[in-house]
Amino acid sequence: MTSTARPFSSALGWGLKRKLIVSMLMVGVVPLLLGLSLAFLQGSKEIQVVSGESFQALATEAARKLDLLVAEEVARTSRIAVHPDIVRALEHRRDALHASDQNATLPTLVQQRAHWAARDPAAVKAITGNSTALLLQSFYAGSQNESDQLLPQVVRAATKKLFITDVQGNLFAALTTKPGFSHAEAAWWKGTFNKGVGQLYIEDLHFDEQADAYVFSISLPVMDSLRYEVVGVVHRVIDAKEFFSPSTHTIRFGKTGHVMLIDSRGMVLSCPILPTGVQLSGASLIPQVTVRQPGWVTADSDGHGGQGTAIIGFAPLPETSRATNGALENGAWHTFVWQSSDELFAPIRHLMMWMMILATVALTLLATLGYFAASRIVTPVRRLQEAARLIGRGELREPIQIHTGDELEELAVEFNRMNTQLEAAFAGLSTQVEEKTQEVQYLQKSTDQVLDAVPTPIIMIDQQGLVQYMNRASRDALQTQENSWSSRPLFDLLPLDDDHLQALRRDLRLVEENKPTALPSPDQEPALKEARDPLNQTLSQASRSARRELRIGSHLYHYEWFPLESRSGAGKRFGLVLRDTTDESRLQDQLIQAEKSGSLDVLTAGIGHELNNPLFGILGLGEAIQEEEDLARAKGYAQDIVGHGRKMAAIIRDFTGVAARESKSQRVPVDVTAQLEQALAIVQTSHDCLGLNVQKHYVTVSPVTALPDQLRLAFINVLTNAIQAMSGRGDLWLTTEEQDDLITITIRDNGPGIPKQHLGKVFDPFYTTKGQGEGSGLGLTVAQRLIKKFGGEIRLESPEGQGTTCVITLPADKAGVRKEEPCVSS
Amino acid sequence: MRLILTVIRARPLWLALALACASTYSLQAKDAAPPPGIPPEKVADFVHAVLDADRTIYTNQVVNRMQAKGIVSAAEHWEHENALPLPAQFLQHSGKLVAESGRGIRYRLISLWPIYQRNAPATDLERRALESFAQTPDRPFTGIVTSGRKQYFQAIYSDRAVSAACVKCHNSHPLSPKRDFALNDVMGGMTITIPLD
Repeated sequence: MTSTARPFSSALGWGLKRKLIVSMLMVGVVPLLLGLSLAFLQGSKEIQVVSGESFQALATEAARKLDLLVAEEVARTSRIAVHPDIVRALEHRRDALHASDQNATLPTLVQQRAHWAARDPAAVKAITGNSTALLLQSFYAGSQNESDQLLPQVVRAATKKLFITDVQGNLFAALTTKPGFSHAEAAWWKGTFNKGVGQLYIEDLHFDEQADAYVFSISLPVMDSLRYEVVGVVHRVIDAKEFFSPSTHTIRFGKTGHVMLIDSRGMVLSCPILPTGVQLSGASLIPQVTVRQPGWVTADSDGHGGQGTAIIGFAPLPETSRATNGALENGAWHTFVWQSSDELFAPIRHLMMWMMILATVALTLLATLGYFAASRIVTPVRRLQEAARLIGRGELREPIQIHTGDELEELAVEFNRMNTQLEAAFAGLSTQVEEKTQEVQYLQKSTDQVLDAVPTPIIMIDQQGLVQYMNRASRDALQTQENSWSSRPLFDLLPLDDDHLQALRRDLRLVEENKPTALPSPDQEPALKEARDPLNQTLSQASRSARRELRIGSHLYHYEWFPLESRSGAGKRFGLVLRDTTDESRLQDQLIQAEKSGSLDVLTAGIGHELNNPLFGILGLGEAIQEEEDLARAKGYAQDIVGHGRKMAAIIRDFTGVAARESKSQRVPVDVTAQLEQALAIVQTSHDCLGLNVQKHYVTVSPVTALPDQLRLAFINVLTNAIQAMSGRGDLWLTTEEQDDLITITIRDNGPGIPKQHLGKVFDPFYTTKGQGEGSGLGLTVAQRLIKKFGGEIRLESPEGQGTTCVITLPADKAGVRKEEPCVSS
Repeated sequence: MRLILTVIRARPLWLALALACASTYSLQAKDAAPPPGIPPEKVADFVHAVLDADRTIYTNQVVNRMQAKGIVSAAEHWEHENALPLPAQFLQHSGKLVAESGRGIRYRLISLWPIYQRNAPATDLERRALESFAQTPDRPFTGIVTSGRKQYFQAIYSDRAVSAACVKCHNSHPLSPKRDFALNDVMGGMTITIPLD
């Protein structure tokens, strides 16, 4: 099992099983993570929006509440400012100040300030004990107020200072000795006085030394009875924390959610967490939350020192802000609602955590199920792989058994089918290969045997000239031991002199370069033929090396290179054939000798045969002349004798003409039929022709240009041959015809015919089937040469057992039709 | 868009300033030529005519048109809400500016049914004037009042609900003591105070 598992994991990297599991996990994990992160993002965003809007609403509500709180306090304070006694007192003070001389007043004021600063009892009593101060005290204590206008305890405790200044900003009446004397230069006083017009002035948060706390103040102008101009200022200093904390600290939600009050500088007026008077952390946050409209932001800082996304709702206090530092532009107060983002996003984080836990469980399940599923898929695949490996080796014996009922099972079925077909195919193939191998071996063996049986030495060499094969004949010739020749250089094996070796190499190079060999290879045949010609016995004496001959030991060899088929890629191969010509040349020499002696006898007999006829004619005529008394007739006989004599001379001359001596006689137009008739007559006279039945089919034909005697001789020779073949008995057909300027003479006998093996040789000189002295073997040779001389052709046809037909064709001479010279016939 | 809004928001302010300047200029002219003397009733009448004209133009040509076109509306908390001041606020604020200029002349709106107590009548004269408008709304009520040793001439003119916005706001404001105003009703008066010394 380990051996089968290895190719999956090591050779291919990741196995199919792991890939399947991983892909299943990826299919699960990717959408899960994607969905979770999308859900988280979307959820966070929605929580931000929902929280932000809630915070904004809360901030707006808180702002309204605090605004009302401040407005209420302003209203309470204004009750002091509109109190008729106080107004009247301050009007008097104004009038007094206005009436009195400036020069006189100034020292008084200086004195008063000094006395107040020194806590002079008289000065203190003048300010804290006057009627206005008493009114302030009763107001503060609530003794003068209606029941619904009582200062709440909280407000009373928070009020750190309460005093009234006159129209010049100097202290007019106070509850305690804490306040300073002169306030004309204070921002709050200037703002409240406002050039005599007067306006509400809520001073921003600041630290008060005397009260030892962070305070804000409410300053109200005391208008004259006409509300025409300011006659004094009521100033209340209130501890911000004590004043606001009952309102802000109660608004809590969750663990960290709370409302705080800040001013536009980011200073905390009241916060359940931060101390009053500190500035919000995060400088970039302050401009975001101190805008004039309610809203919410997602900020990077929560203002409480925490970093990270914070959702903050905010809203300005509308009425209070209008009076802050005299005008809206100079500052404003804002509520600030915030909850720790950890707490805010806790629900969705919890949700995410649960989802992650469930996802992990799901993935574990997925992985487990995936493992089993992959195993179910992979196991048959592995079996298929193993089977394929076995098929590859041809070792699969049993069919694959997979029953999954799916494509894998079909695949296994296909595998089995393929295996069966492959086995069948392989079985057929191996049988064929065996047969072919045997055949090749048989062929090689038989080739070796054939080559060994050939008496001709055959050597095969490669391109480097190393011997690859030698047959038995060559081994014998070179007298090399069995196997000692293998891969040895051929030229070392050959016992030759340098000239022959060079010639051999040169010829090899020519064959190698695929050039025609310099000399015509059958150059010995003409030499032999010439040598056999008794009339032209000249032997061409070419040098042996040029004639591709080499002598090894006592043997003379004619050699021949030939290229051998070689396998592609392998070097060229060449074969060397040595033909033993030792016996051949010896025979040739003997033959030449024999023919030289034998031909003379033949020639003699032939001449005798030719001369016999005229000689017998002369003898007969001579006898007739001896007995003839009539001189005239005797003279005629003598003339015939002369004619015969001439004929004999012509015969002798013709014999010499066989040796290709061109006759000087002039050619004339000759009547072929007449010459044939004469030739027949001559032949009939010289042969026993009693049983001969001559049938003639002549037509009038055009004359041919020839020498009449020689033409007739040719006919004689052919006719003689025919009659001799029939032994003088039988039918002889003579036919002449003319067609297409060719005159055809057919001489046919019904003799025994010529055997096929002799038919090709009948025109050879001295070839004869007759006994010694009966024929020279030159008859047909002469006839052929003569006919050829006249531009004609001669051929013999001899169907077996149907006699022989000699067909002579001669070109017709139509132009020169002339009466031929009278010719003597026998 | 933001720029347009800013410009529009700024416009009433400029208008107010311009009006204030015009008013003070005329007053200066009167102060500068004392010998024959213009009776304070006439001065107050001039001032009232100018103020009434200015507010009418502001109401009809600015606020109403802006609201009709939906560009910007008028609201009480206009500072916070990107809105125009109400016509009454327009007058109050211009009065404040005039007062802050230190010329001495002051004017304000008063009513027997004020939303804010500071706009209630401050003197008996004012109270009587407002009460008189029930019978003679078109006649100004004048008189001399004192504050300590100071003497002032006061003229009170009736003030009507010049636009639907006035009626709507006073009928619906949580602090409003009277909620059955109709258009063109006398809602209060305009007090013009001129120091006499």
